[in-house]
Amino acid sequence: MLTVGSPSSKPADRAGPTGAPIAVRAVSKWFGEPDAQFQALAELDIDVEPGEFASVIGPSGCGKSTLLRIVGGLLAHDAGAVTVAGTTPTQARATKELSFTPQAPALMPWRTVRRNVTLLRELNTRRAAHRPLSETEAIELLEAVGLGGHLDRYPRELSAGMRQRVALVRGFVLGAPILLMDEPFSALDEITRDEMRYLLLDLWQHSGPTVLFVTHSIPEAVILSDRVFVMARSPGRVVHVETVTLDRPRTVAMEDDPQFHQHLRNVRAALRQGSGR
Amino acid sequence: MKFVTTATLADPVVEPNDAERFGADRDGVGEDRPAPAVADGAPRPASRPLYRAAMFVAPAVGLVVFFTMWEIYVRVTDVRRLVLAAPSSTLRHLVDEPGFYWRNAQITMKEAAVGFAVALLAALLVATLMAHLRFVERATMPVIIVLQSTPVAVLAPVFLIWFGFSSWPKILVAAIFAFIPFVFNAFTGLRAVDPDTYELMQSVSATRWEIFWKLRLPYSLPYLFSAARICVGLSLVGAVIGEMYGGSTGGLGNAARIAQTRVLVDQLWGSIFVLALIGVAGNLVLAAIEARVLRWHSSQSRRRRR
Repeated sequence: MLTVGSPSSKPADRAGPTGAPIAVRAVSKWFGEPDAQFQALAELDIDVEPGEFASVIGPSGCGKSTLLRIVGGLLAHDAGAVTVAGTTPTQARATKELSFTPQAPALMPWRTVRRNVTLLRELNTRRAAHRPLSETEAIELLEAVGLGGHLDRYPRELSAGMRQRVALVRGFVLGAPILLMDEPFSALDEITRDEMRYLLLDLWQHSGPTVLFVTHSIPEAVILSDRVFVMARSPGRVVHVETVTLDRPRTVAMEDDPQFHQHLRNVRAALRQGSGR
Repeated sequence: MKFVTTATLADPVVEPNDAERFGADRDGVGEDRPAPAVADGAPRPASRPLYRAAMFVAPAVGLVVFFTMWEIYVRVTDVRRLVLAAPSSTLRHLVDEPGFYWRNAQITMKEAAVGFAVALLAALLVATLMAHLRFVERATMPVIIVLQSTPVAVLAPVFLIWFGFSSWPKILVAAIFAFIPFVFNAFTGLRAVDPDTYELMQSVSATRWEIFWKLRLPYSLPYLFSAARICVGLSLVGAVIGEMYGGSTGGLGNAARIAQTRVLVDQLWGSIFVLALIGVAGNLVLAAIEARVLRWHSSQSRRRRR
């Protein structure tokens, strides 16, 4: 299906000195004024293996986006240690080890589809540690997600689902070994969302980066992931890690698999337990 | 002004509003279908040639009616020429003396254009500093408000004292007139960046310069253009006022002032007509540039909201 290039290095090489590409150790985060603080994250531990697709799921306000921003070096944590690609998140961000896909497509309205997906490539080029995809490779990815006929269109000319696909491809064009995704499908309708899961899996299987994916959809987390970290709020913490045993590549047919439904039940039970019900 | 997308099946086009910001139009309606709003020259349900022709000539009709009624009024009421000249006599006068008006128009246009450019550059510089440094913003705002609240036309004689009978007093008055809308809109535009896109750029440690050049400046362009529309007229007003009060030997403002003191009715109205023409031409040029530069912006959608 996808025939573009090859991953810049084997997953095992990417881990850096400490092993896991993402290692979060006893991380805590507080928000608010000194006299009225609330704890967003409480001694959180998460490890993501090289080439693993890991999801974080939890109720809104459980700190899953906060966690993603800490890992991405966009937010500082207050206690604990975070290692990303063998270094600090800020350092990893500076050398473009990370590719971040925000909740909104965040496309630039004055750039065409083609030039939106190559945006991250153009920025901060001096310190980039990895080779980004060439324009030809980027266009092949766009074709793979069905946008081949829309390369020179502006974002306002696209539907919401198409814009989100552009944003997905943009995340891969950077060629970063670690992808962080913050509920990229949350604004889409259920039908479009279903399609996007498999598009994302196609893109991921092709280059095999390590993914940390934040979502609030249980089926989405299960079908995409190798492991699902279930979080509870007040304060934000991991209450359960579900290891998904479904084979790769994942297919739509697996959604009828009893195993899949067992995973759904497990995650749901963990969420319920986390909220004290 | 917001960047609004219209990816819905709704027809006619939804009223652009804050919907996008709150995600209201991300519901995926119209999935996999290019938004209808962009289909070039989108055919209306019934494409009525007569209707379209009528829409095309409507602006001309408005102008013709306006000048015809003026002409009729002058002829019917037999108003004194000193009070109100007929458009036809002004036109005849303009045709008789094209050289005089061309010479003076060039002077005025040059002053207005240089003033416009000076205002734009100064505003961009000031707005950039304001957008990046909170202290500069707080320190500059009162000065701008003082400038805005002062009828800056009274500065024309001051500039005359400073610069003498050169074109600089007029250019400066024109620049000050245009500076205020430019600086306000540039500042708003530079600050109006989409927070998600900003975070996206930060996630790869984009430099401040990259964020300015690739994000802030493009986001401020629609704001700058809407300021420019106002400033074309304002810089012309500034140049003319500068010519009238800043000591002058040329320009249409000067021609009008002389016409007034010597009761040259034709020359007074001739100057007014040519000034109006320059203003209109300036706006048309600007609209053409805007349509080219802001092709991506929803304001350039072919279909207008009713």
